[in-house]
Amino acid sequence: MNPISRRQMLIRASAAGVGLAGLPAFLAACGGDDSKSSGSSSGTSTKFTMQAAWVNDAEFTGYFVALTNGYYTDQGLDLNYQSGGPDVIPESTLLAGTSPLALTTPDSTIQAIVNDNAPFVIVGAQYQKNPLGVVSLKKNPINSPADLVGKTLAVPPSNTVSVEAMLSISGVNKADVNIVPYEYDPTPLVKGEIDASVDFTTNVPFTIQQAGEEATSFLMYDYGFTIFNDTVVVTKDALKNNRAEIVKWLRASRMGWDENFKDPSKYPPMFTDTYFKGTGRTIENELYFNNAQMPLIKSDGGIYSMSEEAIAANLEALGAIGIKGTRDMFDTTLLEEI
Amino acid sequence: MKNFSRFARGTGVVLIVLAIWEVLGRLELIGQGALPAPTQILAQLWKDRSDYPPHLSVTLKSAGTGFVIGNIIAIIAGAISARFRIAETLLRGLGMSLFAVPLIAIVPVLLLAFTGTTPRIILAAMAVYFPTYIATMNGMRNVDPRLVDVVMVAGGSTTDVLRWIRVRSALPHIVSAFRVAAPAALLGTLLAEFGGGTRWGLGTYLLGSLGQANPSRLWSIGLVATAVAASAYMLFALLGSRLTRSSMSATVQTALPMGGATGPWWKRLGGGVISAGVVLGLWALVLSILDMSPVVAKSPFAIVRYLTTDPRASLSRSRLFHAYSETLPLALIGLLCGLAAALLLAVIFSLRPALGRAVLPFALVSQTMPLPALTPLIVLVFGRSILATVVVCVSVTFFPSFVTISQALATTSTAAIDVVRVSGGGRFKSLRFVGLPGAVPAMATAARLAAPRALLGVMIAEYLATGNGLGNLLNESRGRLDYGMIWTVATTSVLVAVLITQLFGLAEKLTRK
Repeated sequence: MNPISRRQMLIRASAAGVGLAGLPAFLAACGGDDSKSSGSSSGTSTKFTMQAAWVNDAEFTGYFVALTNGYYTDQGLDLNYQSGGPDVIPESTLLAGTSPLALTTPDSTIQAIVNDNAPFVIVGAQYQKNPLGVVSLKKNPINSPADLVGKTLAVPPSNTVSVEAMLSISGVNKADVNIVPYEYDPTPLVKGEIDASVDFTTNVPFTIQQAGEEATSFLMYDYGFTIFNDTVVVTKDALKNNRAEIVKWLRASRMGWDENFKDPSKYPPMFTDTYFKGTGRTIENELYFNNAQMPLIKSDGGIYSMSEEAIAANLEALGAIGIKGTRDMFDTTLLEEI
Repeated sequence: MKNFSRFARGTGVVLIVLAIWEVLGRLELIGQGALPAPTQILAQLWKDRSDYPPHLSVTLKSAGTGFVIGNIIAIIAGAISARFRIAETLLRGLGMSLFAVPLIAIVPVLLLAFTGTTPRIILAAMAVYFPTYIATMNGMRNVDPRLVDVVMVAGGSTTDVLRWIRVRSALPHIVSAFRVAAPAALLGTLLAEFGGGTRWGLGTYLLGSLGQANPSRLWSIGLVATAVAASAYMLFALLGSRLTRSSMSATVQTALPMGGATGPWWKRLGGGVISAGVVLGLWALVLSILDMSPVVAKSPFAIVRYLTTDPRASLSRSRLFHAYSETLPLALIGLLCGLAAALLLAVIFSLRPALGRAVLPFALVSQTMPLPALTPLIVLVFGRSILATVVVCVSVTFFPSFVTISQALATTSTAAIDVVRVSGGGRFKSLRFVGLPGAVPAMATAARLAAPRALLGVMIAEYLATGNGLGNLLNESRGRLDYGMIWTVATTSVLVAVLITQLFGLAEKLTRK
């Protein structure tokens, strides 16, 4: 018995039946499921699991669109989408064998390959530019690393090394910046206890706005921290044995993202009673998020693209924080097969 | 009639406090709006009302399943231990580990091994095991020998004794252990939910609501969790009082006999080594059954290697040591503050019972509110400082200590008090000369019982708020995929917590002499 897949089915079904939102979920699930299986080539679909990097929010809209519009089923995949959370290490599900594909941060993945010989391969990148940035208030703006001199900057403990690398690349002495720990809560910034924080530029400016202040930000990517985010990672085993499924997943997911970005304000409200129900976040927040992330995800080479220049830039930026990756940790050939 | 006026007065105090809270909240006097008014919290709760049923039902299901599984195992283990001393020796290490383990250190390990709601169920089961195990064992062992004789004389067998006497004798004990176990199951589930993995659960909701600059939401989640824990507690309290037909005022099992081992030191040490071996053996067995990748799953040997022969061992050791040097002093300070607060309230209670009764409901709420829900609220009000960590620690250690100490104060020898009275001493004098000296061993007991809670409290505060110590080490290790460290933190925190409880146990024995 797999509780996740059952819930997943239920969610997908009620997303399909838009008018059924008020009916008991149980009924909606039955009805939706029937129409689903009769609509596609039933029986031939392969079960495929993916591990997301965080709880459901707009960061994963593309997958929800692809699920809702049946892109995975059209490819013959029965996708089991697993949400993440603070204690879920996406790479662990690859090692534990519970999922063949995970969305990760490139630094942790490459570090695991280097240090532990973890059998990982990066086959795509959702964010061409990492959404992490330095966020400040418009009334006390910080527009570049140089502006940080003499200021207090709150940094999540796991990003301290990256921030120090960004400062040194930009020629700022880290001793001139007062770095304090940050836990993804904008309140201290709004109240003026700190001057800036390192957070997701796609998300936190909205919360700050809600709290009655205007935010401004710059990407760490634009100041030397040139790494991807939500890298698509699979195991070497999966690459050997499930290559076809991985390509299908990439194809369907790219369709989901392309469809989502045709009008980034269209889909988040449609998931109010499904993927975004009960997450504790507002749909307005997801709308802001989805619009803000568009330029960071879209790429001339298509969604998930990993150009040679981008890979080189990733390796260089990671090298600056002591993570020595190599080109062979990236495999771009699956993207070519889409 | 007297009961009624007491009830009316109690209600009056609660209403006054609520009114003050309302004013403080409306005027945003505390932490610039960190403490919303009760009516604002209720309004938020109403606004979010459709969010709660799916989250609550998943939480209740996981906690309930874990509660049932953990208790079944605990009752079987307790019954076997009551019958065979050797089983008690073998299982002592397991019981002590489960009593002392900071559950939060186990969450990442469980999430490595299991998917879906399984980690939540396991954590809930782990949280309920110890109180029920101890209650079953003691309940079955301490039966009236005359009753046993009656059954034996009537031609009954050992089985009949078990069925007619031991089970019956244990039942009220077990039910009273359930009162402690039910909120503990909820705590375990919430912690694992907060760690993530699936979409639903009150802990998941809390996670999504953090960093949203919406204090009313955090308060309403906290109060809903408290209501669930309190109802579970009261359900079993009611059941218990029906069973025993006696009103036991104690809410927490106070005299958990930990140092039950007797005999020469070498025998006790041998028992300790064997029971620790059982824990390690179980660990290795579970790993081999699960057949996990050795990169993720670490055996006891792998952890020893990680800390000794591994090329990065010295770095790992220094990071681990650094984390403990931040966490342990805070846990100790928090524990001492908690004990002091408990002693203070217990004294007030014994001198001015009415005043004590008025404070008690609020102390109860702070006690029942599950830690992951309580911590963000404390952070809202006190900021991300050491003070917040200490407050978390005090709030989790305070209540069990209060119960232990006030029981000791209440049961001080009446003869001794009479001596003071006869020689012209009042309530204060009898407290000073009889009550307080009598409470010293109780303080040691309270410290022993509360020490693991203090450690858990500090770790949760570090993990959620302050970003240092062991809680932060867990966070960082996850980001680095440092599985060795994740397992090392889990293992060493159990060892350290057991060691600390043993030390307080020793202090307890010395003060009782």
